[in-house]
Amino acid sequence: MEEEIGFTKEHEWVIIKEGLALVGISDFAQNQLGDIVSIELPKIGSKFKYMEAMAIIDSIKASSDIYCPISGEIVELNEDLLEHPEQINQSPYDLGWIVKIKPLNFKENIKEFTDLMSKEQYDKYVGEIE
Amino acid sequence: MNYIPTSEKDQKEMLKQIGISSIDDLVKEFKPPFPRKLSLSKSMSEFDLTKHMKSLALRNRILKCFVGAGSYNHYIPSALNHLLMRGEFYTGYTPYQAEINQGILQTMYEFQSFICLLTGMDVANASLYEGASALAEAILMSSSYTGRNHVFVKNGLHPQYLEVLQTYCKGTDFEFTDKIDDKTACVIAQNPDFYGNVENLLQLSERAHKAGALFITCVVEPTSLAILEPPGNYGADIVVGEGQSFGIPLNFGGPYLGFFAVKDFLLKKIPGRISGMTTDSKGDKGFVLTFQAREQHIRRERATSNITTNEGLMALASTIYLALMGRTGLRDVAKLSYSRAHLLFKKLKGIGFEALNGKPFYNEFLMKAPKSPEKIISTLINNGIFGGLDLGKDTMLICCTEMNTIQDIENYISIVRGIT
Amino acid sequence: MKLIFEYEEQTTGYLPDEDIQIDLPKEIIRKELPLPNVSEISTVRHYINLSKKNFAVDVGFYPLGSCTMKYNPKINEDLARLEGLRDLHPLSPDDCVQGALQLMWELEQDLMEITGMDSFSLQPAAGAQGELLGIMITKAYFKQNNEKRTKILIPDSAHGTNPASAAMCRCETITIPSDSRGNMDIDKFKQSLTPDVGLVMLTNPNTLGLFEENILEISNLARNNGTLMYCDGANMNALLGITRPRDQGFDMIHLNLHKTFSTPHGGGGPGAGPLGVQSFLSDYLPTPRIIKQNNKYILDYNKRKSVGRIRSFNGNFSVLVRAYSYIKSWGTDIRKVSEHAVLNANYLLTLLKDVYELSFDRTCAHEFVLSSNKFGNRSAMNIAKRLLDYGFHPPTVYFPLIVREALMIEPTETESKETLDRFVMALRSIADEIKENPIVVKDAPHTTSIGRLDEVAAARRPNLRWVIPSRPGDENNRDLKFQKPDKQ
Repeated sequence: MEEEIGFTKEHEWVIIKEGLALVGISDFAQNQLGDIVSIELPKIGSKFKYMEAMAIIDSIKASSDIYCPISGEIVELNEDLLEHPEQINQSPYDLGWIVKIKPLNFKENIKEFTDLMSKEQYDKYVGEIE
Repeated sequence: MNYIPTSEKDQKEMLKQIGISSIDDLVKEFKPPFPRKLSLSKSMSEFDLTKHMKSLALRNRILKCFVGAGSYNHYIPSALNHLLMRGEFYTGYTPYQAEINQGILQTMYEFQSFICLLTGMDVANASLYEGASALAEAILMSSSYTGRNHVFVKNGLHPQYLEVLQTYCKGTDFEFTDKIDDKTACVIAQNPDFYGNVENLLQLSERAHKAGALFITCVVEPTSLAILEPPGNYGADIVVGEGQSFGIPLNFGGPYLGFFAVKDFLLKKIPGRISGMTTDSKGDKGFVLTFQAREQHIRRERATSNITTNEGLMALASTIYLALMGRTGLRDVAKLSYSRAHLLFKKLKGIGFEALNGKPFYNEFLMKAPKSPEKIISTLINNGIFGGLDLGKDTMLICCTEMNTIQDIENYISIVRGIT
Repeated sequence: MKLIFEYEEQTTGYLPDEDIQIDLPKEIIRKELPLPNVSEISTVRHYINLSKKNFAVDVGFYPLGSCTMKYNPKINEDLARLEGLRDLHPLSPDDCVQGALQLMWELEQDLMEITGMDSFSLQPAAGAQGELLGIMITKAYFKQNNEKRTKILIPDSAHGTNPASAAMCRCETITIPSDSRGNMDIDKFKQSLTPDVGLVMLTNPNTLGLFEENILEISNLARNNGTLMYCDGANMNALLGITRPRDQGFDMIHLNLHKTFSTPHGGGGPGAGPLGVQSFLSDYLPTPRIIKQNNKYILDYNKRKSVGRIRSFNGNFSVLVRAYSYIKSWGTDIRKVSEHAVLNANYLLTLLKDVYELSFDRTCAHEFVLSSNKFGNRSAMNIAKRLLDYGFHPPTVYFPLIVREALMIEPTETESKETLDRFVMALRSIADEIKENPIVVKDAPHTTSIGRLDEVAAARRPNLRWVIPSRPGDENNRDLKFQKPDKQ
């Protein structure tokens, strides 16, 4: 599972790396939102349950919640985004990462992680929305 | 009166174009049909209407006002009303189309700036309904920021404001407590308080912050800010209040002007409209409504608030008022209000009234009357003076502004002295 | 134009000059008051020039859907400024304000007659506050009856305020889709109408400008389920004297006096949003209530089951004065208002539906929604901006959310055929331009003093207030940050 990317129906992506879940939003999502103008990040140390709203992204058109794709504790934030939210538009899978989460409960997390869509499944899902 | 311009000839042509013979055909699916004429009074001509309204106005008595309590009788420069009567200002709506509403957007920006300068805060919105519901919005914001739902209110909050908070809190599941702890979302203090007391609230704000709560200052008589320390300097995270003192008539209680200012870390949670400066395609300076994505028409049930129509024209009135009065004029208002109140206070003390304010006051004060307040107030009213509010237990809340002349104060005293 | 803060220091003064010493403790005294001093002539010119940079009903046609931008009779401005109505302190003894109380009482009576409701509170400052109050009353009512009902059903065409107000009261909203005729989908409604549903919130006619054809069935189903019916009265301008919300089965309604009853919109308020209810809910209304006793009007503070006060003092009184005089001037003829509002809307619809698309081909009420979807993505915005060049305020765009590229047009009854014809010409000509010369539409507006503004920059680097320029590095002068950097 290492380094494999998974997607939620709410358009977050997750990559598990060194026991931590790296989370961002998909290219499709950033495109739909248009120019992102700001992001409201959670606090380090705060805990979120599966698919609980943990951050808010604002564009001119919309203000969207970012949902927690893996139950756990926030251990790192991409604070660059506070100054440069446009990185989410420019580089959604790399510079535009949002938080790192330490999964809480291995067993449950496994289920959450297997519920995620693969890249192919997600592309198909997005194709249907469009 | 008939405010419909359509001639009968035009009406016929329009019906023909639509392909029907009468307006009834257009409304036949509005069900159930109302079977009779509405039982309202007969239509009035402008002439009759004016007569009727004047007779209603004459059934009210305008008194010399020595009462504040959230509604202050200040002088309004004549130029203000002339500017406010511009149809280009008062017959438009929220400036959604920035290109044709630069005027109103700039005045909103100026209003926000005035409020920030006066309160010592970073960001202000373009207005809320009035002081009390603005304070309720501040509680909602505190809870959304802290994730907590307990509210601590310092003594001395305007009783009607407290009632409004109780209404909102019942509806929205908040609790009032007398403790400041790790459940406290916010600590609220009015300054000057309902009894006119003014103080530096630094210690209270530190207590709030230590507990992880937000500190809210509520300013109901904002002319005080011309001479008093701005709340931003003693730790307020949110300053809300009532802007009526800035150029808005008493209006029997409304429309008034809620203002709402915060430190920048709360910027994205502000309810209502905000105007921001930016540039156009040619690089020229201009203004737009900003952060609309957080508002109800886009974010619906997850919006920062349900507010839509706010008090734009009242914010404009305040902006023009502050521009006309200027730094010097506003200071004069505050100094005169302060000085008249202290003069009346001194004279009342001289005829047996007892001071009850534990702290210094600005333009409003509480006294224990040597005779029944009911009698004092009714005697004054018979002489055309609204002399104070009876707060029970022989106490009276009294207020002065620059509108109360020294002669008015002499008259007040001599009438009260004459009561046996 | 420069800001009022950017004028050179001038002289001003309106009050007697007296030498006054302030004797207050040092720690509460302000060190400086950084406001400008600008002369009266400069201030007057400043704001007159700003006023000229606005579009308003007094300037031109303003068919902003859902906002009812009708003409605001001038006489009402004068009447609201009569000293005897303007200079009253809200805490004056009842004896001294009989005229004001009579006016409010009579306004309540008139609104009761117009809607069919049994009592009104004039306290709410705007429609959204009326709604909030309605939901609070719903909560209090079910609490009193020991019922747990936390859900609110709202159609997908609803104003955003409906779900926002519900959320403020911690109620769960269930969104009901619209059917192929633009009504609320009745089958989906039936499925969602479970025993825990406390309230159905409907706008009628809805935001598509369509009268809800199943309204009587909906309110019957709700009643049988013990659910209350709330009417968002934003669109009352279609119904005056034709049909009454109470007779349609509603238990509560708020009215937007700044819409239907012609009080000026003020560039974004003040409005007034009185709430009317049926008698079984009267005791829940805010206090004080106005009552008439032996030909005297009194403010009654008796709480009964009241949810409490929703704002300070007596509502937006001077807005109430204007609405009152508007209703008095129409009197029994007020039905004409709605008839002509509906006539004007249908006239425009007839002349535009071949060029733009109509999602629901029905007779409309006082407004209608066109779609410019066939002209492509963002076409509604471009058309709106191009209309500015033709001298019109654009319709509401991108609302309701269920119509793609929506243009929501509400002409109101106060516009002449001549104006409507010019508007039709403009919209038809823009449709031609999109085909023949699309760039002129895409780059619009061309004639306004300022071009399209950079909203992204405005939001990314917010500049929301003037700062004292001479003091860089000053605490008040730093850039705004959205969030405290997290240092835990």
